[in-house]
Amino acid sequence: MDESTDAEVIAASLADAGRFAELFDRHARVIFRYLVRRVGPEADDLLGEVFRVAFERRETYQQCRPDARPWLYGIATRLVARHRRGEARRLKAMARFAAQRFGADDMAERVAASTDAVEDWARVADAATDLPEGERDTLLLYVWEDLSYQEIALALDVPIGTVRSRINRARAHLKGIAPVVEGRMSS
Amino acid sequence: MSDELEPLRRLRPDNVLPDEPGDPTVLSRQKEQLMSLIDDQPDTTIRMPDLYPRLAYADEFAALEYLVRVFGFTELREARMEHEWDGRSQMLAWLRLGTGIVMIGHANHDVHLIYAPGELGHTTVMLNLNVHDIDGHYAHAVAAGADVTMELEDAFYGERRYEATDLEGHRWHFGESHEAIRARGGEVPDDPEGGKPTTH
Repeated sequence: MDESTDAEVIAASLADAGRFAELFDRHARVIFRYLVRRVGPEADDLLGEVFRVAFERRETYQQCRPDARPWLYGIATRLVARHRRGEARRLKAMARFAAQRFGADDMAERVAASTDAVEDWARVADAATDLPEGERDTLLLYVWEDLSYQEIALALDVPIGTVRSRINRARAHLKGIAPVVEGRMSS
Repeated sequence: MSDELEPLRRLRPDNVLPDEPGDPTVLSRQKEQLMSLIDDQPDTTIRMPDLYPRLAYADEFAALEYLVRVFGFTELREARMEHEWDGRSQMLAWLRLGTGIVMIGHANHDVHLIYAPGELGHTTVMLNLNVHDIDGHYAHAVAAGADVTMELEDAFYGERRYEATDLEGHRWHFGESHEAIRARGGEVPDDPEGGKPTTH
Protein backbone atom coordinates (compact mmCIF):
# COMPACT_ATOMS: atom_id res chain seq x y z
CA MET A 1 0.00 0.00 0.00
CA ASP A 2 2.77 2.40 0.93
CA GLU A 3 4.38 1.83 -2.43
CA SER A 4 1.47 3.17 -4.41
CA THR A 5 2.00 6.63 -5.85
CA ASP A 6 -0.21 9.56 -4.97
CA ALA A 7 -1.66 9.33 -8.47
CA GLU A 8 -2.67 5.74 -7.81
CA VAL A 9 -4.21 6.64 -4.47
CA ILE A 10 -6.21 9.42 -6.09
CA ALA A 11 -7.32 7.12 -8.90
CA ALA A 12 -8.39 4.52 -6.35
CA SER A 13 -10.31 7.18 -4.41
CA LEU A 14 -12.56 7.68 -7.42
CA ALA A 15 -14.11 4.31 -6.77
CA ASP A 16 -13.40 4.16 -3.05
CA ALA A 17 -13.51 7.66 -1.60
CA GLY A 18 -12.09 6.61 1.75
CA ARG A 19 -8.72 6.02 0.12
CA PHE A 20 -8.36 9.78 -0.12
CA ALA A 21 -7.49 9.85 3.56
CA GLU A 22 -4.09 8.41 2.63
CA LEU A 23 -3.35 11.56 0.72
CA PHE A 24 -4.07 13.59 3.82
CA ASP A 25 -1.79 11.39 5.92
CA ARG A 26 1.02 11.78 3.43
CA HIS A 27 0.93 15.53 2.88
CA ALA A 28 -1.18 17.37 5.44
CA ARG A 29 1.73 18.15 7.73
CA VAL A 30 3.82 19.79 5.03
CA ILE A 31 0.91 21.73 3.57
CA PHE A 32 -0.11 22.88 7.04
CA ARG A 33 3.41 24.19 7.75
CA TYR A 34 3.30 26.09 4.46
CA LEU A 35 -0.06 27.63 5.32
CA VAL A 36 1.13 28.64 8.79
CA ARG A 37 4.16 30.34 7.27
CA ARG A 38 2.04 32.33 4.90
CA VAL A 39 -1.08 33.21 6.85
CA GLY A 40 -0.43 32.31 10.49
CA PRO A 41 -3.39 31.27 12.62
CA GLU A 42 -5.79 31.30 9.68
CA ALA A 43 -3.95 28.22 8.46
CA ASP A 44 -6.09 25.92 10.62
CA ASP A 45 -9.22 26.34 8.56
CA LEU A 46 -7.38 26.67 5.28
CA LEU A 47 -5.83 23.24 5.75
CA GLY A 48 -9.23 21.59 5.76
CA GLU A 49 -10.24 23.72 2.81
CA VAL A 50 -7.21 22.59 0.77
CA PHE A 51 -8.11 18.95 1.19
CA ARG A 52 -11.80 19.53 0.64
CA VAL A 53 -11.06 21.26 -2.67
CA ALA A 54 -8.55 18.53 -3.58
CA PHE A 55 -11.09 15.84 -2.80
CA GLU A 56 -13.75 17.47 -4.91
CA ARG A 57 -11.36 17.95 -7.82
CA ARG A 58 -9.71 14.56 -7.63
CA GLU A 59 -11.40 13.49 -10.83
CA THR A 60 -9.40 16.05 -12.78
CA TYR A 61 -6.06 15.06 -11.27
CA GLN A 62 -3.45 14.44 -13.95
CA GLN A 63 -2.62 10.79 -13.57
CA CYS A 64 0.74 11.21 -15.25
CA ARG A 65 2.03 12.96 -12.11
CA PRO A 66 2.92 10.42 -9.45
CA ASP A 67 3.60 12.99 -6.72
CA ALA A 68 0.56 15.06 -5.70
CA ARG A 69 2.42 17.48 -3.47
CA PRO A 70 2.84 20.21 -6.10
CA TRP A 71 -0.87 19.95 -6.86
CA LEU A 72 -1.71 20.42 -3.17
CA TYR A 73 0.73 23.32 -2.91
CA GLY A 74 -1.06 24.87 -5.87
CA ILE A 75 -4.47 24.57 -4.25
CA ALA A 76 -3.09 25.95 -0.98
CA THR A 77 -1.49 28.88 -2.79
CA ARG A 78 -4.73 29.83 -4.52
CA LEU A 79 -6.51 29.80 -1.17
CA VAL A 80 -3.79 31.94 0.40
CA ALA A 81 -4.55 34.55 -2.26
CA ARG A 82 -7.76 35.34 -0.39
CA HIS A 83 -5.70 36.29 2.64
CA ARG A 84 -3.48 38.92 1.12
CA ARG A 85 -3.89 41.52 3.81
CA GLY A 86 -3.15 39.08 6.60
CA GLU A 87 -0.05 38.02 4.79
CA ALA A 88 1.31 41.55 4.45
CA ARG A 89 0.81 42.19 8.16
CA ARG A 90 2.46 38.93 8.98
CA LEU A 91 5.53 39.69 6.89
CA LYS A 92 5.92 43.03 8.62
CA ALA A 93 5.75 41.36 12.00
CA MET A 94 8.35 38.79 10.91
CA ALA A 95 10.62 41.65 9.86
CA ARG A 96 10.51 43.08 13.40
CA PHE A 97 11.32 39.71 14.91
CA ALA A 98 14.10 39.18 12.39
CA ALA A 99 15.68 42.51 13.32
CA GLN A 100 15.86 41.40 16.93
CA ARG A 101 16.98 37.91 16.22
CA PHE A 102 19.55 38.54 13.52
CA GLY A 103 20.99 41.77 14.88
CA ALA A 104 24.64 42.19 15.71
CA ASP A 105 25.95 40.15 18.65
CA ASP A 106 27.89 42.95 20.23
CA MET A 107 25.67 45.17 22.33
CA ALA A 108 27.21 48.45 21.21
CA GLU A 109 27.07 47.40 17.62
CA ARG A 110 23.55 46.22 18.12
CA VAL A 111 22.42 49.56 19.38
CA ALA A 112 24.11 51.27 16.45
CA ALA A 113 22.82 48.79 13.99
CA SER A 114 19.38 48.29 15.39
CA THR A 115 17.70 51.19 13.64
CA ASP A 116 19.20 50.12 10.35
CA ALA A 117 18.37 46.49 10.98
CA VAL A 118 14.73 47.24 11.63
CA GLU A 119 14.55 49.29 8.46
CA ASP A 120 16.45 46.76 6.40
CA TRP A 121 14.26 43.88 7.42
CA ALA A 122 11.16 45.97 6.86
CA ARG A 123 12.44 46.59 3.33
CA VAL A 124 12.75 42.86 2.75
CA ALA A 125 9.18 42.37 3.94
CA ASP A 126 7.95 45.27 1.81
CA ALA A 127 9.80 44.00 -1.22
CA ALA A 128 8.08 40.63 -0.87
CA THR A 129 4.71 42.26 -0.25
CA ASP A 130 5.08 44.55 -3.26
CA LEU A 131 5.69 41.73 -5.70
CA PRO A 132 2.81 40.85 -8.01
CA GLU A 133 0.94 37.88 -6.63
CA GLY A 134 2.28 35.34 -9.10
CA GLU A 135 5.85 36.37 -8.43
CA ARG A 136 5.44 36.30 -4.67
CA ASP A 137 3.84 32.86 -4.79
CA THR A 138 6.64 31.59 -6.98
CA LEU A 139 9.32 33.14 -4.81
CA LEU A 140 7.98 31.84 -1.51
CA LEU A 141 7.48 28.34 -2.87
CA TYR A 142 11.10 28.50 -3.92
CA VAL A 143 12.84 30.02 -0.91
CA TRP A 144 10.54 28.90 1.91
CA GLU A 145 9.32 25.55 0.66
CA ASP A 146 12.36 24.49 -1.37
CA LEU A 147 10.26 23.37 -4.33
CA SER A 148 12.10 22.91 -7.61
CA TYR A 149 11.25 25.06 -10.64
CA GLN A 150 9.49 22.04 -12.11
CA GLU A 151 7.39 21.52 -9.00
CA ILE A 152 6.49 25.21 -8.85
CA ALA A 153 5.46 25.09 -12.51
CA LEU A 154 3.16 22.18 -11.72
CA ALA A 155 1.80 23.84 -8.59
CA LEU A 156 1.01 27.17 -10.23
CA ASP A 157 0.13 25.80 -13.67
CA VAL A 158 2.64 27.95 -15.48
CA PRO A 159 5.42 27.02 -17.89
CA ILE A 160 8.78 26.41 -16.26
CA GLY A 161 10.20 29.39 -18.19
CA THR A 162 7.75 31.61 -16.35
CA VAL A 163 8.97 30.29 -13.02
CA ARG A 164 12.54 31.02 -14.05
CA SER A 165 11.79 34.57 -15.18
CA ARG A 166 9.75 35.26 -12.04
CA ILE A 167 12.61 34.14 -9.79
CA ASN A 168 15.02 36.27 -11.80
CA ARG A 169 12.78 39.32 -11.51
CA ALA A 170 12.42 38.70 -7.78
CA ARG A 171 16.19 38.51 -7.45
CA ALA A 172 16.54 41.84 -9.19
CA HIS A 173 13.82 43.25 -6.98
CA LEU A 174 15.56 42.14 -3.80
CA LYS A 175 19.06 43.06 -4.91
CA GLY A 176 20.83 45.47 -2.62
CA ILE A 177 18.59 44.78 0.32
CA ALA A 178 21.02 43.11 2.69
CA PRO A 179 20.11 43.37 6.34
CA VAL A 180 22.84 43.24 8.97
CA VAL A 181 23.21 39.64 10.00
CA GLU A 182 25.74 38.51 12.53
CA GLY A 183 26.42 34.98 13.63
CA ARG A 184 23.86 32.47 14.78
CA MET A 185 22.00 32.01 11.58
CA SER A 186 20.50 28.63 11.36
CA SER A 187 20.58 27.01 7.95
CA MET B 1 27.82 32.85 -1.55
CA SER B 2 25.96 36.06 -2.07
CA ASP B 3 22.32 35.42 -2.78
CA GLU B 4 19.71 38.13 -3.15
CA LEU B 5 17.11 35.69 -1.91
CA GLU B 6 18.88 34.87 1.34
CA PRO B 7 17.26 37.66 3.42
CA LEU B 8 13.81 36.47 2.43
CA ARG B 9 14.80 32.89 3.18
CA ARG B 10 15.76 34.03 6.68
CA LEU B 11 12.47 35.81 7.07
CA ARG B 12 10.63 32.52 6.93
CA PRO B 13 8.43 32.66 10.02
CA ASP B 14 9.71 29.47 11.62
CA ASN B 15 13.24 30.87 11.36
CA VAL B 16 12.43 34.02 13.28
CA LEU B 17 9.87 32.39 15.54
CA PRO B 18 11.38 28.99 16.19
CA ASP B 19 8.73 27.92 18.61
CA GLU B 20 5.73 29.02 16.63
CA PRO B 21 3.15 26.39 17.36
CA GLY B 22 1.80 24.20 14.65
CA ASP B 23 -1.06 23.04 16.78
CA PRO B 24 -0.88 19.24 16.55
CA THR B 25 -4.60 18.88 17.16
CA VAL B 26 -5.27 20.80 13.95
CA LEU B 27 -4.22 17.86 11.81
CA SER B 28 -6.45 15.36 13.55
CA ARG B 29 -9.37 17.78 13.69
CA GLN B 30 -9.11 18.64 9.99
CA LYS B 31 -8.73 15.00 9.07
CA GLU B 32 -11.89 14.17 10.97
CA GLN B 33 -13.75 16.83 9.02
CA LEU B 34 -12.37 15.51 5.76
CA MET B 35 -13.45 12.00 6.65
CA SER B 36 -16.97 13.12 7.43
CA LEU B 37 -17.06 14.93 4.10
CA ILE B 38 -15.89 11.77 2.38
CA ASP B 39 -18.42 9.63 4.19
CA ASP B 40 -21.18 11.96 3.08
CA GLN B 41 -20.42 11.32 -0.56
CA PRO B 42 -23.65 9.94 -1.95
CA ASP B 43 -22.11 8.14 -4.87
CA THR B 44 -18.50 7.93 -5.85
CA THR B 45 -18.79 5.50 -8.70
CA ILE B 46 -17.90 6.79 -12.09
CA ARG B 47 -20.77 7.21 -14.45
CA MET B 48 -20.20 6.00 -17.97
CA PRO B 49 -20.92 8.74 -20.49
CA ASP B 50 -23.81 7.88 -22.77
CA LEU B 51 -21.48 8.03 -25.74
CA TYR B 52 -17.98 6.64 -25.72
CA PRO B 53 -15.87 5.18 -28.52
CA ARG B 54 -14.43 1.70 -28.72
CA LEU B 55 -11.02 1.61 -30.37
CA ALA B 56 -9.62 -1.47 -32.05
CA TYR B 57 -6.01 -2.53 -31.61
CA ALA B 58 -4.03 -5.48 -32.86
CA ASP B 59 -2.40 -5.60 -29.42
CA GLU B 60 -4.77 -4.10 -26.90
CA PHE B 61 -2.50 -5.03 -23.98
CA ALA B 62 0.34 -2.93 -25.40
CA ALA B 63 -2.19 -0.18 -26.16
CA LEU B 64 -3.38 -0.11 -22.58
CA GLU B 65 0.16 0.24 -21.27
CA TYR B 66 0.91 2.94 -23.82
CA LEU B 67 -2.19 5.07 -23.26
CA VAL B 68 -1.66 5.07 -19.50
CA ARG B 69 2.05 5.77 -19.62
CA VAL B 70 2.21 8.27 -22.49
CA PHE B 71 -1.13 10.07 -22.46
CA GLY B 72 -1.90 9.80 -18.76
CA PHE B 73 -5.10 7.75 -18.94
CA THR B 74 -6.33 5.91 -15.88
CA GLU B 75 -7.79 2.47 -16.33
CA LEU B 76 -11.08 1.72 -14.62
CA ARG B 77 -9.73 -1.55 -13.31
CA GLU B 78 -12.99 -2.89 -12.02
CA ALA B 79 -14.46 -2.67 -15.52
CA ARG B 80 -11.84 -4.76 -17.31
CA MET B 81 -12.98 -7.94 -19.06
CA GLU B 82 -10.56 -10.62 -20.15
CA HIS B 83 -11.50 -13.66 -22.16
CA GLU B 84 -10.21 -16.30 -24.53
CA TRP B 85 -11.15 -15.83 -28.16
CA ASP B 86 -9.69 -17.39 -31.26
CA GLY B 87 -7.18 -19.21 -29.10
CA ARG B 88 -5.89 -15.94 -27.84
CA SER B 89 -6.31 -14.03 -24.63
CA GLN B 90 -8.21 -10.84 -25.31
CA MET B 91 -9.20 -7.89 -23.23
CA LEU B 92 -11.66 -5.07 -23.09
CA ALA B 93 -10.53 -2.13 -20.98
CA TRP B 94 -12.04 1.23 -20.12
CA LEU B 95 -9.79 4.23 -19.77
CA ARG B 96 -10.55 7.60 -18.32
CA LEU B 97 -9.05 11.04 -18.81
CA GLY B 98 -10.90 13.86 -17.10
CA THR B 99 -14.56 13.14 -17.71
CA GLY B 100 -13.91 11.29 -20.94
CA ILE B 101 -13.96 7.54 -21.29
CA VAL B 102 -12.65 5.39 -24.09
CA MET B 103 -12.97 1.64 -24.45
CA ILE B 104 -10.24 -0.38 -26.09
CA GLY B 105 -10.27 -3.94 -27.36
CA HIS B 106 -8.93 -6.30 -29.93
CA ALA B 107 -9.76 -5.61 -33.57
CA ASN B 108 -12.87 -7.69 -34.14
CA HIS B 109 -13.66 -8.90 -37.63
CA ASP B 110 -16.40 -11.38 -36.79
CA VAL B 111 -18.96 -9.63 -34.67
CA HIS B 112 -18.34 -5.90 -34.45
CA LEU B 113 -16.47 -5.46 -37.71
CA ILE B 114 -13.99 -2.93 -36.44
CA TYR B 115 -10.42 -2.71 -37.62
CA ALA B 116 -7.17 -1.38 -36.26
CA PRO B 117 -5.69 1.50 -38.28
CA GLY B 118 -2.72 -0.67 -39.21
CA GLU B 119 -5.03 -3.07 -41.04
CA LEU B 120 -6.56 -0.29 -43.11
CA GLY B 121 -3.53 1.86 -43.62
CA HIS B 122 -5.30 4.86 -42.10
CA THR B 123 -7.67 5.86 -39.37
CA THR B 124 -11.12 7.35 -39.77
CA VAL B 125 -11.59 9.16 -36.47
CA MET B 126 -9.77 11.60 -34.29
CA LEU B 127 -10.15 11.49 -30.52
CA ASN B 128 -10.42 14.98 -29.04
CA LEU B 129 -9.57 15.59 -25.42
CA ASN B 130 -9.70 18.66 -23.25
CA VAL B 131 -6.88 18.55 -20.76
CA HIS B 132 -6.03 20.69 -17.81
CA ASP B 133 -2.51 22.14 -18.29
CA ILE B 134 -1.86 21.31 -21.92
CA ASP B 135 1.79 22.38 -21.54
CA GLY B 136 2.38 19.81 -18.82
CA HIS B 137 0.50 17.15 -20.74
CA TYR B 138 2.54 17.79 -23.86
CA ALA B 139 5.85 17.78 -21.96
CA HIS B 140 4.95 14.52 -20.29
CA ALA B 141 3.85 12.84 -23.52
CA VAL B 142 6.98 13.92 -25.37
CA ALA B 143 9.21 12.73 -22.56
CA ALA B 144 7.39 9.39 -22.63
CA GLY B 145 8.10 9.00 -26.33
CA ALA B 146 4.85 10.15 -27.94
CA ASP B 147 4.77 10.29 -31.72
CA VAL B 148 3.76 13.93 -32.11
CA THR B 149 2.12 14.62 -35.45
CA MET B 150 1.23 18.25 -34.80
CA GLU B 151 3.44 20.33 -32.55
CA LEU B 152 2.05 22.26 -29.61
CA GLU B 153 0.72 25.58 -30.87
CA ASP B 154 -1.87 28.25 -30.21
CA ALA B 155 -4.64 27.93 -32.75
CA PHE B 156 -6.53 30.93 -34.15
CA TYR B 157 -9.83 29.79 -32.63
CA GLY B 158 -8.47 30.12 -29.12
CA GLU B 159 -7.03 26.78 -28.20
CA ARG B 160 -3.55 25.53 -27.38
CA ARG B 161 -3.28 22.08 -28.89
CA TYR B 162 -1.14 19.28 -30.18
CA GLU B 163 -1.78 15.98 -31.86
CA ALA B 164 -0.13 12.63 -31.54
CA THR B 165 -0.53 9.25 -33.12
CA ASP B 166 -0.50 6.29 -30.79
CA LEU B 167 1.37 3.02 -31.22
CA GLU B 168 -1.12 1.66 -33.75
CA GLY B 169 -2.06 4.83 -35.57
CA HIS B 170 -5.10 6.16 -33.74
CA ARG B 171 -4.96 9.92 -33.80
CA TRP B 172 -5.34 11.95 -30.63
CA HIS B 173 -5.92 15.67 -30.35
CA PHE B 174 -5.16 17.26 -26.99
CA GLY B 175 -6.19 20.82 -26.29
CA GLU B 176 -6.92 23.43 -23.67
CA SER B 177 -8.92 26.56 -24.42
CA HIS B 178 -7.20 29.90 -24.02
CA GLU B 179 -10.00 30.80 -21.66
CA ALA B 180 -9.13 27.86 -19.42
CA ILE B 181 -5.43 28.69 -19.61
CA ARG B 182 -6.12 32.26 -18.52
CA ALA B 183 -8.42 31.05 -15.76
CA ARG B 184 -5.60 29.02 -14.26
CA GLY B 185 -3.28 32.02 -14.39
CA GLY B 186 -1.44 30.95 -17.53
CA GLU B 187 -0.53 33.25 -20.38
CA VAL B 188 -1.72 33.13 -23.93
CA PRO B 189 -0.57 35.16 -26.93
CA ASP B 190 -2.60 38.24 -27.89
CA ASP B 191 -2.33 37.16 -31.48
CA PRO B 192 -2.71 33.38 -31.57
CA GLU B 193 -1.87 33.24 -35.23
CA GLY B 194 1.48 34.72 -34.33
CA GLY B 195 2.42 31.32 -33.05
CA LYS B 196 4.37 30.85 -29.87
CA PRO B 197 2.94 31.35 -26.41
CA THR B 198 4.41 34.25 -24.52
CA THR B 199 6.21 33.42 -21.33
CA HIS B 200 5.05 36.47 -19.44
